Amino acid sequence: MSTLSAQVTEGFPTLSRAALVPVLPVLRAVVPAGGLRPGTVTAVEGSPALALALTAGLGDRWCAVVGLPEVHVAAAAAMGGDDGGLDPARVLLVDDPGRRWADVVAALTDGCALVLTRPPDRPAPPVVRRLTALARRAGCALVVAGPWEAADLRLRVEESRWSGLGAGTGHLRGRRALVVSSGRGAAGPGRRVWLWLPGPDGSVALVKRTAEETAEETGAAATPLTVAG
Amino acid sequence: MSPPRALVIWCPDWPVTAVGLDAATPGAVVSGARVEACSAAARAAGVRRGQRVRDAQRHCPELALRDRDPDAEGRLFESVAVAVSGVTPWVEVVRPGVCAIPVHGAARYHGGGACGTAADEEALRIHVQDTVVEHGFDCGAGIADGLFAAELAARAGEGGVVVPADGTPAFLAPYPVSVLDRPELAGLLTRLGIRTLGAFAALPVRDVTGRFGADEIRAHRLARGLYPRPPAPRAPLADLSVTTEFDPPAAAAEQVIFAAKTLAERLHEALAAEALTCVRLGVEVIGADGRTLARLWRHDGALSALAVAERVRWQLSSWETAPDQSGQEGGVALLRLLPDQLVADDGHQEALWGGATVSDQIARAAARVQAMLGHQAITRPHPAGGRGPGERVVRVPFGDLPPARAAEGPWPGRVPDPPPSAVHPEPLPVAVTDAAGAPVLINERMAVSAPPHQIEVAGRRLPVTAWTGPWPARERWWDPAGARRRARFQVIAGDGEAHLLVFEAGRWHVEAGYA
Repeated sequence: MSTLSAQVTEGFPTLSRAALVPVLPVLRAVVPAGGLRPGTVTAVEGSPALALALTAGLGDRWCAVVGLPEVHVAAAAAMGGDDGGLDPARVLLVDDPGRRWADVVAALTDGCALVLTRPPDRPAPPVVRRLTALARRAGCALVVAGPWEAADLRLRVEESRWSGLGAGTGHLRGRRALVVSSGRGAAGPGRRVWLWLPGPDGSVALVKRTAEETAEETGAAATPLTVAG
Repeated sequence: MSPPRALVIWCPDWPVTAVGLDAATPGAVVSGARVEACSAAARAAGVRRGQRVRDAQRHCPELALRDRDPDAEGRLFESVAVAVSGVTPWVEVVRPGVCAIPVHGAARYHGGGACGTAADEEALRIHVQDTVVEHGFDCGAGIADGLFAAELAARAGEGGVVVPADGTPAFLAPYPVSVLDRPELAGLLTRLGIRTLGAFAALPVRDVTGRFGADEIRAHRLARGLYPRPPAPRAPLADLSVTTEFDPPAAAAEQVIFAAKTLAERLHEALAAEALTCVRLGVEVIGADGRTLARLWRHDGALSALAVAERVRWQLSSWETAPDQSGQEGGVALLRLLPDQLVADDGHQEALWGGATVSDQIARAAARVQAMLGHQAITRPHPAGGRGPGERVVRVPFGDLPPARAAEGPWPGRVPDPPPSAVHPEPLPVAVTDAAGAPVLINERMAVSAPPHQIEVAGRRLPVTAWTGPWPARERWWDPAGARRRARFQVIAGDGEAHLLVFEAGRWHVEAGYA
């Protein structure tokens, strides 16, 4: 039986072990497998910056953004820091897919490693199944900016604080954000990590908190720090 | 062998005419910070092509400035082409602003005299010029051997001249080498002491061939009054025209344009297989009601698939506005591309999708989206210059060439990094009030009336916990119509989210968010 199953999965190489869609190393703390599995849906609610951070580790792969006219690609390009974030030359934008949303996403899964999208309304289950099947076959991960019932992984910013701004002085320098993952693909009750999202140069980095700052944040009830790989 | 006699109609300062400025008002079309074209009145005041906008304004303070609009140039020129097609159907659009017709036949018909005499040609020249002027466009018309000389003839004298048969090399000789429109070659020749076309033409062919490349050899042939490329040595054996039929007829222009792109790709493949390239392309559009609109398009290099689609778009614009039209129904039934003048391909083919990063797979996926939603629906972001975050990225339809705007350069008043994660396509109105509940205002000297205390966006009232600003931005202050004065602020609202606000003309908007 095991040999048969091996034969079957060999016949469908994408079923056995599809290559993961890479994410930035600092995000591995909240993306358990170290990358997004093709054909799965990651839901990111409430933070466009966090959704963009998932696209910043794509390297030379293509990314499509569907139905999010406000997305600022320059932010994702800066998120990788010195390693380079999202390459704007490898981005396709469809601002207004209208009623052809599902067809547009289906067309773009073929060729793009990641499709970041916001569906115009709640898509019907058969549409969802078709999209995830197409994405799995094409090696593409879906990231939904907004709620999604059947999401494998949910990411959200639980808490955040900006620094650099005073009363009429300074300028925004960075935001420390507590990113929490949950859902089926999260492996466990949820991981959490403090990230600079974004840091002063626009990049995403791990917050290395000094004791002083921790004391300052005692109101946040001593969240355990997860060490990122 | 000298090329056949051609009549060229040249509309002066076409980029200026196309944006709606007439010759009597001083106006200029600018691209970047330089003058691309100017009206006759502006030229009289000392404005020149290639000048910096500031210098131009020094010469002519009341100068009206417009951005260049190549699409409008192509569309409006269709009306000129339609006017000329009343004289002869063989109108060939060289580029917006210049079109040509063959003299042979037309001169005999309109001159009414004996076979192709100089008097006939002059009669034809006057007739064509009057036809275009009657349609409301200023133009010059000239006749000479070949397009290059005919265009110079159209610009010569008062409204153009007729260069007698066999007189073309003598006519060309006194022109400076810069008219060849090859600045590098012109610079080199001038340094060698060769300043006129006559002197360049006098160089032995063998020496030019030995020292220069294919393009310079073409220039040399032009200077001698010959065809720029030798005609294709043999007639093509196969019919290379390509056709698409629409069943049911295509009602939307986008559908036809999209088909044109695919058709042009097929044509390129067929031509490449024969090692040929096409410098003149016939585009024939046949409507469901039997109307036919055929036009010849000339291009210096090979017409890329994209350039073909653009010309089909221009051609369709005149179709939609044609006056003798009985109802919109019908649509387009057939589109045909006919490669009209074939020359041997000497290796100047343009890449179809510009840039090597686009794989076939991506091009295919994008084409599918374009087929569903139209050419403009799928875009690629390109970095651009600007102060606001929205101006730093321009969206260019997939397959179009990115704008040639410099991305760097100091942008005083630019909001420092990190960049916001969301830039609202339409800025959201917001009410900003101070501690007393009065609206916060910014005066002429960029002073804030009172510290912002509360913002109200879409019915939600939030206290302001921290703020900074203003970053003043005075944009396009030289252009009264396009001038903008803005002040940007960063604020952190009570819910912990940061926003980029902009104050302009007494109103506040949320321009971007950092969430």
